[in-house]
Amino acid sequence: MTPPAWLGYGWLEPHFIGWMLQGAALTAWLALLVCGLATLLGVLLAAGYEQRWRSVRLAVRAFLSLHRNTPLMVQLLLWYFGVAGLLPEAVMLWLNAPHEVTLAGWTLAWPSFEFVAALIALSLYSAAFVAEEIRAGIRSVAPGQHAAALALGMTPRQVFRHIVLPQALRVVCRPLLGQYLGVIKNTSLTMAIGVAELSYSSRQVESETLLTFQAFAVATLLYLLLVLGAQLAGGRARPTLGGGR
Amino acid sequence: MTAVEVISANLDYLLLGSWPAGPLGGMALSVVIGLTAALLASLLGLAGGIVLTLGSPLLRRLVAVSAALLRAIPVVMLIFWCYFLLPVLFAIDVPGTLTVIAALALIGGAFLTQAVHAGIAAIGAGQWQAGLSLGFSRWQTLRLIVLPQALRIMVPSFVNQWITLVKDTSLAYIVGVAELTFVASQVNNREQVYPLPVFATVALLYWLWCSGLVWLGARWEAHYVRVGHK
Repeated sequence: MTPPAWLGYGWLEPHFIGWMLQGAALTAWLALLVCGLATLLGVLLAAGYEQRWRSVRLAVRAFLSLHRNTPLMVQLLLWYFGVAGLLPEAVMLWLNAPHEVTLAGWTLAWPSFEFVAALIALSLYSAAFVAEEIRAGIRSVAPGQHAAALALGMTPRQVFRHIVLPQALRVVCRPLLGQYLGVIKNTSLTMAIGVAELSYSSRQVESETLLTFQAFAVATLLYLLLVLGAQLAGGRARPTLGGGR
Repeated sequence: MTAVEVISANLDYLLLGSWPAGPLGGMALSVVIGLTAALLASLLGLAGGIVLTLGSPLLRRLVAVSAALLRAIPVVMLIFWCYFLLPVLFAIDVPGTLTVIAALALIGGAFLTQAVHAGIAAIGAGQWQAGLSLGFSRWQTLRLIVLPQALRIMVPSFVNQWITLVKDTSLAYIVGVAELTFVASQVNNREQVYPLPVFATVALLYWLWCSGLVWLGARWEAHYVRVGHK
């Protein structure tokens, strides 16, 4: 059956859908790495915010403000063009050349410079938002908990690690999940620096086939599946993290 | 040329694009896109939140589902839909700036719909009952009693959404609209020498804009606290 004129008289051939599936896989992989790195860094930043030293607190505040109040797109371009400009030419040549390490039958390919720049920019940007959520969670833990743990002879670090953080994490589960869904959506910006993720591949398919509607429909559907999948996985993980409460 | 000279030589272009000789661009165009999209998104969000409160079940379902869909997809995808499909569907040439405004307004409106609905729901049932028992209609109760109180709760949501919108104006870069980020990459391609200073300057401009909004939002909230429950 030939589709009507507004659908461009054609359907997508399977290998084009394959391109977009590859794009979706890269989107998922990038988002997963970013979520991990951003959470680690976010916890560190939130801990830094509670430090005694004023200089540490000021540095954390500056980091949060600079990353939250500038567009991700600009941060991506800054890492991609700006940092590439700072590195010596030999380093850039090495980064742009393919490198492979074969370990016990597994081949690890060194990712492209675009991917590394995207990973760094996205992780730093998301970490700032994760840190704010965790900070709000820490604030929600009653001050008495802190005082009681100190009175029991715990060091401030132990108090943060064993008393405050577990309770704070319970509170921030939901907002954190929201941030992770945001990360999936934000990976789409990396197409601007040439990361071949889902949005990039949908544009590629679109310009190759001129089947605009079909290409974007498939990409949109894949994004919906990724976001809904993450939402379901997060909803299942929450009771476990919540300690049965 | 030093980095400072490169920036100062291109500052006019970064701020205004090729205006007045050509079309408006740079930061001025970003401001136009941001303001228009923020206004439209706020109106859409208000309307959506009210429909979710007072609309018929079918209408409520329709608004809830479309808002949830819009919130689940990346802004980039919606910009693609608007940019590449509107001209095909209507066989007219839609300027890139308008398609970006439409995409940003729709996504912002979807998030604000949720915020407005939650804000209205946060107002106690007693306020509704009081209004209705005084002989007000449901619409009058909402407009005169519930909404003025709910709007106060929503101030942070609105300010946060406006800041997100300001940052998202930079996505117009992807479809080649000559706003600040696009113009900056043009300057970067032309000069080729100082990528870091060029993008840092642009980041600083956005930072000033967003921080200004944060500051205004904090003052606005403080104003409500000071005025109290008047």
